[in-house]
Parts: sequence; C-alpha cells; structure tokens
Amino acid sequence: MTAPPPSVWTTLQILGSSTDFQTKVYRNDTAGLYLWVSYVEPMVDMEFVARSIFPYLFHCPFSSLEEIHRALPIDDAYISSDPNNVKEKLLEGYLFIRLHETDETGLLVKAQKTLERALTVPEVEFSVVGPKESFIESLETNLFLLRKRIPIDRLTVKMTTVGTLSKTKVAVVYIDGIANPDNVQTVLQRIEEVEFDEIIDSSYIVQIISDNRHSPFPQLLDTERPDRVAAVLAEGKVAIMVDGSPHVLIGPTTLVEFFSSFEDYFLNWTVASFFRLIRLFSVTFSILITPMYVATLNYHYELIPKDLLGTLITSRREIPFPPILEVLFLELTIELLREAGARLPTKVGQTIGIVGGIVIGTASVEAGLTSNVLLILVALAALASFTTPVYKIGNTIRLMRFPFILFAEIWGLLGVAFCFCIIVTHLLYLTSLGRPFLSPLYPPRWRDLKDALVRLPFTSQSKRPETLRTEQPIRFDGKKAKQKRDIDE
Amino acid sequence: MASVAERLQVSPFMTFFIIMSMQIGIGVLGFQRIIAETAGHDAWISVLLAGASSHLILILIYWLLQQADGDFVLLHQRLFGRWVGGVLSLLLVLYFAIMPFVVLSTYIEVVQVWMFPDLKTWEFSLALFLLCLYITFGGFRIVVGICFFCLIIPSYLVFTFWFVLDYSDFYQLLPIFDHSPSAILKAAKQMTLTMLGYETVLFFYPFIKGGKQSAKWAHAAVLTTTLFYTLLTILTLAYFSENQLQRQIWPTLMMWKVVELPFIERFEYIGIANWLLIILPNICLGLWCSSRICKQLFSIRQKMALLVITTICFFCTLWIDDRAEIDFANTILNRAGFYFLYIWIPCLAGITYIVKKVRGNV
Repeated sequence: MTAPPPSVWTTLQILGSSTDFQTKVYRNDTAGLYLWVSYVEPMVDMEFVARSIFPYLFHCPFSSLEEIHRALPIDDAYISSDPNNVKEKLLEGYLFIRLHETDETGLLVKAQKTLERALTVPEVEFSVVGPKESFIESLETNLFLLRKRIPIDRLTVKMTTVGTLSKTKVAVVYIDGIANPDNVQTVLQRIEEVEFDEIIDSSYIVQIISDNRHSPFPQLLDTERPDRVAAVLAEGKVAIMVDGSPHVLIGPTTLVEFFSSFEDYFLNWTVASFFRLIRLFSVTFSILITPMYVATLNYHYELIPKDLLGTLITSRREIPFPPILEVLFLELTIELLREAGARLPTKVGQTIGIVGGIVIGTASVEAGLTSNVLLILVALAALASFTTPVYKIGNTIRLMRFPFILFAEIWGLLGVAFCFCIIVTHLLYLTSLGRPFLSPLYPPRWRDLKDALVRLPFTSQSKRPETLRTEQPIRFDGKKAKQKRDIDE
Repeated sequence: MASVAERLQVSPFMTFFIIMSMQIGIGVLGFQRIIAETAGHDAWISVLLAGASSHLILILIYWLLQQADGDFVLLHQRLFGRWVGGVLSLLLVLYFAIMPFVVLSTYIEVVQVWMFPDLKTWEFSLALFLLCLYITFGGFRIVVGICFFCLIIPSYLVFTFWFVLDYSDFYQLLPIFDHSPSAILKAAKQMTLTMLGYETVLFFYPFIKGGKQSAKWAHAAVLTTTLFYTLLTILTLAYFSENQLQRQIWPTLMMWKVVELPFIERFEYIGIANWLLIILPNICLGLWCSSRICKQLFSIRQKMALLVITTICFFCTLWIDDRAEIDFANTILNRAGFYFLYIWIPCLAGITYIVKKVRGNV
C-alpha cells in the first residue's frame, strides 16, 4: 500500500494533533462568507492580528482569496496549495486562511511573533572605548547591525538551513569582490554538508566544519561584536551567522588573531602594540611557568642563583610532596575555582573567588601543603591566561599547560622543549578553511606582520592580508594617506 | 622535472632557512677545538676558507640541478645507467639515513654528560623519532615549517655571547697568519664537516617554487652560516687560551657558563634544552631526504620508507652508545659528506660537462 500524496488537508490534520494548533471559523457579515483561519498559537502575534488583519477580514466585501490578498495591507502574504510550504509557514507563525474547510488552497499571511532581548553591551569581549553593542539571538537583528556598518550593495548574504530538526537558518556573509571566492565556496560547501539534527548555536557549527575537529585549538574565530565582524569582512574574510546564536564565526583565521583584542584598533598603535606584546608574553608565561618550576626543582636546581635558591628552599622546606604533586594540586584548585565561578550566579561566584583565592591559598601554604612561591606563580599564570581577548583560546591555553607539566616531570627542561616541538608541529598541521593557521609567521608573509604581533598605524595598513588571497588586495591608496612633508612647510 | 604539485611547494626564500637550519647543528657545540688543534689562533681563517669553498660547491650543485631538470637521482641514472646510477643513489640514502641517528646520538651524549646522567637513551630516542615521524608524515611543508621555527626561535641564543665579550682578550688572535698555509688548509678541511647540510638542496630542489631563484637564498644561507661560525670562532679563540681550548670537548657550552642573569645561573642548561630545536631539522630533513630518494628509486610509498628508515635509526641509537663509537660514527658521516661534496660533486660536474659536449644533452 502506498501512502496517499500529502495534501493540505492531511497536513492540517497532523498539525491538529497538537492542542496549540487552532482552526477558527469567522463570519464576514459584509460579504456573507465564512473564513477558516488556522495558525500555531504560540508563534503568532495575536495583538498584531487583531489590530491589522481582522478589521480587513471582517469588514471588507470580497468573494475570493485574491480579493482578500489585495485588501490586506500586509506585504508577506501569498496564496499557496503546496502542503509542505503551508506546513513550514504555519510553523513559522503564518496564518492560513481558507474559504471552506476542505479547501486545498489558502492564503498565507505573515503574523510572526518576534520576541528578542534588547541589544546589550558585549560581555565576553568588553572594551572600554569603542562601540558598545553586541549581537543577539535574532539573525535578522544581527544582519541589521552588520548592514548598518557596511551599507554597500556588494555585501552578500547567502542563507541556508541546517539541522534536520532545528531547521536553523545560517547566513554566510561576505563582501563580493573582496573575499576570495574559494573561501566562500569552502564555507558554503561545508555548511551544506553538515549532518546534525539540532543545531543550537554557532559553536556547534564551528565544531562540525573545522578543518581538524580533534584539535584543542579553535580554527574559526567567534565574536559577539558587530564592529569586529564588519572590520574583518572589509579585510576579505567570511562570516557565518547562525540564527539563535549571539556569536558570529569568522574565517579563515590565524593563531595570532586570537591574541588580538578588538580594542587594539581603538587605541593608538604604539599603545596597542605594547598591549599585544604584553599579551603574548603573558600567554608564554602562563603556559611555561609551572612546567619550569617542576623541571627546575626536580632536575636543575643549579639553574637558580644562590640568593633565589635560599628563598625557594625556605618556602619548600616543610612541603612533603614532590613538586609535580604540588603543582598539579594548585593548578587543579585554580581550575576548580574557575569552573565553580563560571557555573554560579555572579554574586555567589565572587564569594567563591574570595574563598578560593584567599582561604584555600593561604590555608594550603600555612598547612604546609604547597610553597608560597608556587602559589604566586600559579596565581600569576592563571591571571595571565585570562588576558587572552578571545575566550576559547584561553581555555586552550589552560589545557596546554598540563602536557608541559607532565613532560617537565619526565625530562625536565628537555621535556619542555620536546613538548614545545610537538605543539609547534601540531600548529603547523592546522589550517583554517584550508589556509595555514600559523600565517603570517609560517609561511612567512612579511607584509602581514604589520597587524600580527604588533599593530602598525592605519596609514601603513593599505593592503589586505596576503594570506587571504583577496580579490582586491588594496584597501586604499597608501601613498595618499602617507603624505610626506618637509621641515617648516 | 619531477613534477611536484604547486600546493606542496614552498617559496624560494625558504631555502635560506632550510639550508641554515641544516648547517647549524650539533657541530656548533664543539667544532672550535678541532680546528684550533691544527690552525691555532688562525682557525678563523680556515672557517672563512671553508665557507668560500662551500659557495663554490653550491654553484656546482645548482649547475648540476639545472642540467638534470632538478632530479639528481635521475641524473645518476642517465649518466651511469639504471643499475650503477641506482647504487650511487642508494649510497646517498645511506648517507642521509645515518645523519639522523648520528646527530641524535651525539645530542643524547651531550645531555647525558651535562644534564641527565641517567637519561635512558631508548626512551628519549623513541620519543624523538616518533615526533620526527609526526613531522615528516606531514610532508615537506611541515618539515620546512620546523626548519623555520627551529632556526628563528633559538636565534636569541646569539645574544648570550654578549656576556662572553667581557672576558675575551682579542689580542690572543695576533699575530695573524702565524700558522703554515697547509695547517690552515687542513683546518679548513676539518671545518667543511661543520658546514655540511647544503647538499640537501639536491633533493628538495623540485619542492621550491621557481627553483632557480632559490640559488641566491642558498648562497645567502651559506654566507650567514660562515659569518656566524667565523664570529663564534673568533670569540672562542679570544675567550679561551689555546691550551685551555684543547681541554674542552664542547667549548660553546663552556662559554655559556659565564652568562649571568639575576634569575638564571648555569645558562648552558637552557642552551642544551634549546639545542633540541636546533637538531630537530637535521633529523627530520635527513629522514625526509633519504625516504624521498627511496621513493624515487624503488617506487614505494614514502611513508613506508620513512617507517623502515626511522626504525633502523632507532635501533642504531640503541646499539651505538659510548663515546668512542659515537665519535667513530661522526667521523664516518663527516668523511662521507666530505667525499660526496668535494670529490663526487666536482667529478660529476666534469662527467656531465663531457657527456653534454658529446651527446648534446644529458
């Protein structure tokens, strides 16, 4: 037995098994007609319907759907008899109006309820200066925020739907004529190939379409700042916006981009470059300091000068554990504090921070479980790991420390160097949308270094990043921007 | 020309980093004593001479590569037939396969003497060879990436020699030309061994985009290495007296001992740990070259060749572990390198020239 072809009638029957699906019959007295109006109640803005649709429905004289269509002052309305289309639109919050209960053709009228929170200040990527708006969960609003900043016709949006259950709308945004078509094609193709049922957030997408799905390093940058997205689109990158997610993905990205805060562009280039170098230093420090402690105290105490050695010995005299246990104990404590702080409401979180930081720290030193020198180092390392402007790379850095500690325990400084080589190799393997992840360091793109470890002034940023292979590599006339003047002119 | 897809190629100026990272290796830790033994305080002249000769050989290498369309293995076969040419290339496989394990054994020896007397050779060499497999399986681009970072990152060590300046006496270099030309030449010959490494260009040449343009970068690399070695030799000669120098196996490590920082003493520990980065390109590129020649010779998969060669290298490091044996292996490798570069390459150039005159093409 073959199933009968789906008809609008059966579709409505299936929908009708939910109690929130309504079909109501109204009578238009002027024309003497009955109207069957179906809708999914939670999705429809009833106030809007009562105000803008019903007055026309009940008081205008008409005899066919076409006449209703003409009479209604609503743009998004059309007549349809395709059962799939009707089902989809009903679930999005359209009204379906028929003249008879058994009609296969009806008028679809948009009456969607839109509930969204107001635009807020960016919380993850807060900046003291610069714009203060961040993306929200609605794709339309996010696109509005972006279009407002790039009001040109070449800003192209390609929409697709992913997720068999969630039917999540995904928009791929780029500037036509600047972004490399290969990059756009790669993104579009990977998004089409996504096989998953319920896409909740852009972080689902990033895990599915990344070049290397097992790497702890994020290979697409995620941001909640419309200004940042606008800026990188102008550089020739591609943005992926997901409905229901306040975070937008940007690719192709590079490792150094994860250490550049968007605030760098709001400050003078000297200050910004200084901050970037500080951040790089703090990341290196954060990863290496506790492994160094383990290596030095286990194997190379000769490395420490005599005066410093005294301090270290005094602090460690009473400690019954080898350095590795001491370090793991404290590192895990910090991780626990962070994890607990992240899960708790803000107010309680602060209390936990104080309890953890002061009580556990001081107590463990006084109890003779850890040395106070190590306590300082671990706390500094934790602090340094929070200087990363992108949240996700901070997590990676905290994870990175543990293999280093283990290798330092096995082979001391040699182990640290060894682990370093492994990680460099891993980074060399990584690509972001097929472009090398370590660029512009390797393969070296000298010109791109103007905005990597340091940020040079805007006048010298006249070319787009070479790594992206953009269609239009020149941003503006660099010579005009940099007019040279002689003395006293 | 052996066709290599463009996405696998690297830009010509990477040749600079590849060659330099190959040239600077484990030899830097101790070459000064050997050349000072014959040429005394004139040893720095020998370094310059060795550098100059390297440039000449490099010119010949590039000439040969152009005659052979970039494929050295094919050149052997065209000149000497399939079998003899094959055997000659096989010798090169052996040469590049010996290099990784000699370098690693020497390094492990340094580590055991200076840092970890009880470092287990097998543990460390197993881990390191696994790392090298990880690197080389990524192909030439990853190997070059390692060459690049492993030259750039440890380059800060150059600044540590600043501390040595305070204790140096440059009058020790006088009088210049105090030794006979033959002694200086002999030291130059010994020095060529430390300069080895640029011969790898014979095999990675097809992987360079626009191969011919890489010549200037190759020469720049050899020039930089020569200058670096010359300065290091001058500094060593100024720092140690001649008798003192003869008693040091690793003068460079001894020089680091005077580095004084408020938070670090015994700087040579940092230096030795960093030296892992310096030797890594030597091992990886050696493995890559030998497996690449294997692939061309026997048409087997390069992964297979790599696995076999690395396993053999690993067992060799286990088998050769005392000072005398390592020294012997070093001598063999150095002699092979010397004969290959200074005898075989000029001969081959001569033969190619004659064949070209007679046959019209190679």
